[in-house]
Amino acid sequence: MTAALVAEGLHTYYGKSHILHGVGLEVAEGKITALLGRNGAGKTTTLRSLMGLTPPREGRVTIFGTDTVNWPTYRVAALGVGYVPEGRRIFPNLTVDENLKVPLERTGAWTSERIYQLFPRLAERKTNRGRQLSGGEQEMLSIGRALLLNPKLLILDEPSQGLAPLIVRDVFRIVAQMRSEGISVLLVEQNARVSLEIADYAYVIDDGAMVYSGPAKELAADEARVQSLAGVSVEEWTMS
Amino acid sequence: MIDLLLFNATNGLIIGAFYALMAIGLSLILNLSNVINFAHGGFLVIGAYLSYSLTPYLGFWGALIVAPFLTAAIGFLVERLLIRRVYGRDPLYSLLLTFGLAFIIEDGTRQIWGALGKPTSIPAFLSKPLSYQFFFITGYRLFMVAIVVLAIAVLFVLLRYTRAGIRVRAGTLDLETVAALGINIRTLRSLNFAIGIFLAGLAGVLASGQLGLEPTMGDGLLMPSFIAIIVGGVGSLNGTLLGGLMIGVAAGLTAVVFPSASDAIMYVIMAIVLLVRPRGLLGEEGMLT
Repeated sequence: MTAALVAEGLHTYYGKSHILHGVGLEVAEGKITALLGRNGAGKTTTLRSLMGLTPPREGRVTIFGTDTVNWPTYRVAALGVGYVPEGRRIFPNLTVDENLKVPLERTGAWTSERIYQLFPRLAERKTNRGRQLSGGEQEMLSIGRALLLNPKLLILDEPSQGLAPLIVRDVFRIVAQMRSEGISVLLVEQNARVSLEIADYAYVIDDGAMVYSGPAKELAADEARVQSLAGVSVEEWTMS
Repeated sequence: MIDLLLFNATNGLIIGAFYALMAIGLSLILNLSNVINFAHGGFLVIGAYLSYSLTPYLGFWGALIVAPFLTAAIGFLVERLLIRRVYGRDPLYSLLLTFGLAFIIEDGTRQIWGALGKPTSIPAFLSKPLSYQFFFITGYRLFMVAIVVLAIAVLFVLLRYTRAGIRVRAGTLDLETVAALGINIRTLRSLNFAIGIFLAGLAGVLASGQLGLEPTMGDGLLMPSFIAIIVGGVGSLNGTLLGGLMIGVAAGLTAVVFPSASDAIMYVIMAIVLLVRPRGLLGEEGMLT
């Protein structure tokens, strides 16, 4: 099995604070890899390190066989890495249609027409500005925007954050669908239970270091660990 | 009295169009690069003197077209070589750099073209007064306004309908996400800077036909342009346009009743706007944080 992305020994800092302590992970091609962990464990920082948004001080990142450490973010993305950032980061001053015109036009199967087919809700809101959208619509737009880059690897940072359970189910169904499109997925989530239902492989990060890695099924079966990942509140709703 | 008011309002509108042209260029650069370009008036001077030197070879119309493009090319190089080095640093660096550039351009102009002002000539049909009642409104003034309106209209169309323009507007609020979508933000910033400088160069060419040439001719336009941005709201080019026209007209009208206050009025307007609506008339929220 080949890897879409391999990271080894990442050490990342925000100013003087040392956030990641030698993080490594691998995203297998055509699979969904989940990176789970509690709030503040270092999930977002890991993604920012991979994208070159907060470059690691030490470590290696290889994407589709290319060493991308110290690359500017736009070059990493242009390799075919779609990024759905934490908090969705929709351009609030642009319309839905304009938001979809921002990404680099890599050739591939995704066009704005196809995005509107995938998310009919967005088609209805084409001329609305980003700031007028609901959280769920923003999430769809953020995913659609990343897909228009025609990515081979899709990186999602907490897509379920702040969404109603029904909408979370929709979003995760789309993510699972991306795998059947042949896109490799790295899914960062706090919502362990739902993530493990669609993921093939899982990592758990805590305090800036990996504490677990294994097939998603095995982790899902380990009730105690899943409970602890959910933090204080037990999530009672699932994908079913 | 009505005549005088009308005349001054029109005159103010013309001056306001100039403020707006300068301010929109400044605003473009501020929005995408977070650099307050104190050398903007310097680029106006470069545009003006280039058109002066080109006119013997290209004529009035040729110089009008070529000089702003040459100014933009110089701006592009300055961004590539100097300005981009201060991106992401403390704002003090960009202030020092562009302030220094302003002095270098001013003294460079003196070295190359001489310290004394130069007369300029404009085509005869443009220099005739249009009306003998409002003797100050010459064809050239209307011509300037027409060019300013055309330039701003073209810019707004580019920003609204081209991908590059949409990316510039996206980058105003979130450049990091634009980069994460695969866009080369280095190139985007360079082009955007060059377009801002193009507008300064164009303002210089137009102003030289009206005011003649002097190495310090950009100084008087810089402060009103900053005020236009603040009044209109940082981050909004519509706001900057509105702000420029507003302070131009206000200054024109004040000159009728209380001439010595016509400069002070724009500061008064700025103070009132900042008190009532700190983000400016049409400003985006969170631009200055």
